[in-house]
Amino acid sequence: MAKTVEPGDRFAIGITFGNSNSSIAHTIDDKAEVIANEDGDRQIPTILSYVDGDEYSGNQAKAFLVRNPTNTVAYFRDYLGQDFKSIDPTHCHASAHPHNTNGTVSFKLKDQPDADEPSTLSVSEVSTRYLRKLVNSASDYLGEKVTSAVITVPTNFSEKQREALIKAANDADLEVLQLVADPIASVLAYDARQESKVEDKMVVVADFGGTRSDVSVVASRGGMHTILATAHDYEFAGTHLDQVLMDHFAKEFIKKYKTDPRENAKSLAKLKAEAEATKRALSLGSNASFSVESLADGCDFASSINRLRYEMIGRKVFEGFSRLVDGVIKKAGLDVLDIDEVILSGGTSHTPKIASNFRNIFPETTTILAPSTTPTAINPSELQARGAALQASLVQEYDAEDIEQSTHPAVTTVQHISNAIGVISTSEDGEDTFVPIIAPETAVPTRRTIHINAAKDGGDVLVRIAEGGTHIKVTQPEPKPKEEKETDSDDSDDSDFDSDEDDEEETREKVWKIGSTLAEAAVRGVKKGGKVEITINVMADLGVTIQMREVGGKGGVRGTLAKP
Amino acid sequence: MAAPATVSFSLPPLASGWSADKDFKPVGKITSATQRTIEPVGPHFLAHARRARHKRTFSEDDR
Ligand SMILES: Nc1ncnc2c1ncn2[C@@H]1O[C@H](COP(=O)(O)OP(=O)(O)OP(=O)(O)O)[C@@H](O)[C@H]1O
Ligand SMILES: [Mg+2]
Repeated sequence: MAKTVEPGDRFAIGITFGNSNSSIAHTIDDKAEVIANEDGDRQIPTILSYVDGDEYSGNQAKAFLVRNPTNTVAYFRDYLGQDFKSIDPTHCHASAHPHNTNGTVSFKLKDQPDADEPSTLSVSEVSTRYLRKLVNSASDYLGEKVTSAVITVPTNFSEKQREALIKAANDADLEVLQLVADPIASVLAYDARQESKVEDKMVVVADFGGTRSDVSVVASRGGMHTILATAHDYEFAGTHLDQVLMDHFAKEFIKKYKTDPRENAKSLAKLKAEAEATKRALSLGSNASFSVESLADGCDFASSINRLRYEMIGRKVFEGFSRLVDGVIKKAGLDVLDIDEVILSGGTSHTPKIASNFRNIFPETTTILAPSTTPTAINPSELQARGAALQASLVQEYDAEDIEQSTHPAVTTVQHISNAIGVISTSEDGEDTFVPIIAPETAVPTRRTIHINAAKDGGDVLVRIAEGGTHIKVTQPEPKPKEEKETDSDDSDDSDFDSDEDDEEETREKVWKIGSTLAEAAVRGVKKGGKVEITINVMADLGVTIQMREVGGKGGVRGTLAKP
Repeated sequence: MAAPATVSFSLPPLASGWSADKDFKPVGKITSATQRTIEPVGPHFLAHARRARHKRTFSEDDR
């Protein structure tokens, strides 16, 4: 049985527990705030290190990757609940290595002061110790013992991984109120902003972390969220941008000192740490320095790089990010024109080049929520922890059993309509247009209301309710008239490459097409300039009720459609 | 409930021959839907869960 706490005894926070970094957050007056640990860090490296039996975590532990790598454990979160044979140990080359203990993952760490032999600690135990550190930091900051948390997890975390995480948290004396999907926590953080309205929108959440990149397409309908497609990538992530800079500066170093700093473990660790710092600096400035004392063979090394150069040498990785996003939109059966909002999340999302690439991929109508494109964007490194804290404050007053029941598939797994439902309006020249009332991918039951103008002179009007879909209309540019070329001057031997022609691109737009008719109705005697209110209610069994009346008028028309 | 959206389109006038019982003519049914999972987060989901668990409708919920 999982650990539970009575609502009255709870003190709850939000946690995001990444392979690279973790964060803790709480809410004050319904506003989420990320908590700094005792070192003043809000992005706390998910690392533990043991020196003479003392335990270090966060940035203190990260610093030990250079001097004490074998007793420092990092990049372990994804190993929770996994069989040893299915893990990818790549990222643990320069720290404590994962070991196979009866099929599960463990690390050998000298965590006792005077022991000759290291202890074997399961990944579960390591996670418990790390989570305990996080919770203690939060308790210290808040001045009250934290008992409970909402924790975010990747969308491809298996049931076994989820159970293992809950167990690791419980062993740290922490109740897990709920596990929330990483991208959904980011959406919640944006939803909670004062200026945000409850809208129907299609959102892409692009989470670029340290060891992995995860992208989701989320249908956001009336404040409820459904994930339509996800994609995960481990070949192109933040660490690969570090590698690009490491290789760049290593080559410079070799030119100067004829020795490769990547061939010695300690030099490599120094190279990596400084490359990451340089990379972060390049997110803010157009130039960044790179300097390491005694990088290799006792030689100090100092250099610098500008952002343009960095963007050039990192191009493969940036293109990988764009491909991942493009792929997941296709997987959801959508087009970039369908996407209303792109939320950039994760530490790597601070990189301006990523946002500017997305600006080019998506149409102008898509909002790109990243620090470099939208001044009011939320810090991408804080989104998940904030979302988790908001959810924690929402559910902390409920019994564990209540939360369990509400998150049960019987409640969450429901029909989502595939086509939009809307009304047909007719322009004066007799052209019919589909006006959506309920968006596609809306979960049922649902109810939506619109106000629409009656015919110009009022009177009796026709309400035709139909399904609708969208398609992408492509318009080719008008071909250029040919004659002009013949009058060109003699030296025009380049007529195949008329640069003007290349500027003209086809235009793509999303247009509604009217699908099958669901119902017709009459609203009679509407006054001149009047409006009609239409309410559509789709029930859980996909039966429909439709109500129409003049706005401000009495009575009205009502009818039902049988379930399919 | 949120204020209804107002759209700048117009309904056509009713053709003179049109008639139906109680002025409503059902023509079709919803043609396609997919079973998917709503993420159990946020205040709007909470309201959905409450309605689902207590088998209440939107209008009962409004009261
Ligand atoms: N300002 C910045 N500019 C560019 N990259 C940054 C910046 N801040 C952090 N990063 C990078 O973000 C990555 C960490 O991302 P995040 O904090 O989201 O970790 P995470 O979710 O634990 O990662 P994962 O689980 O993928 O390993 C690191 O590669 C780090 O170097
Ligand atoms: Mg992450």
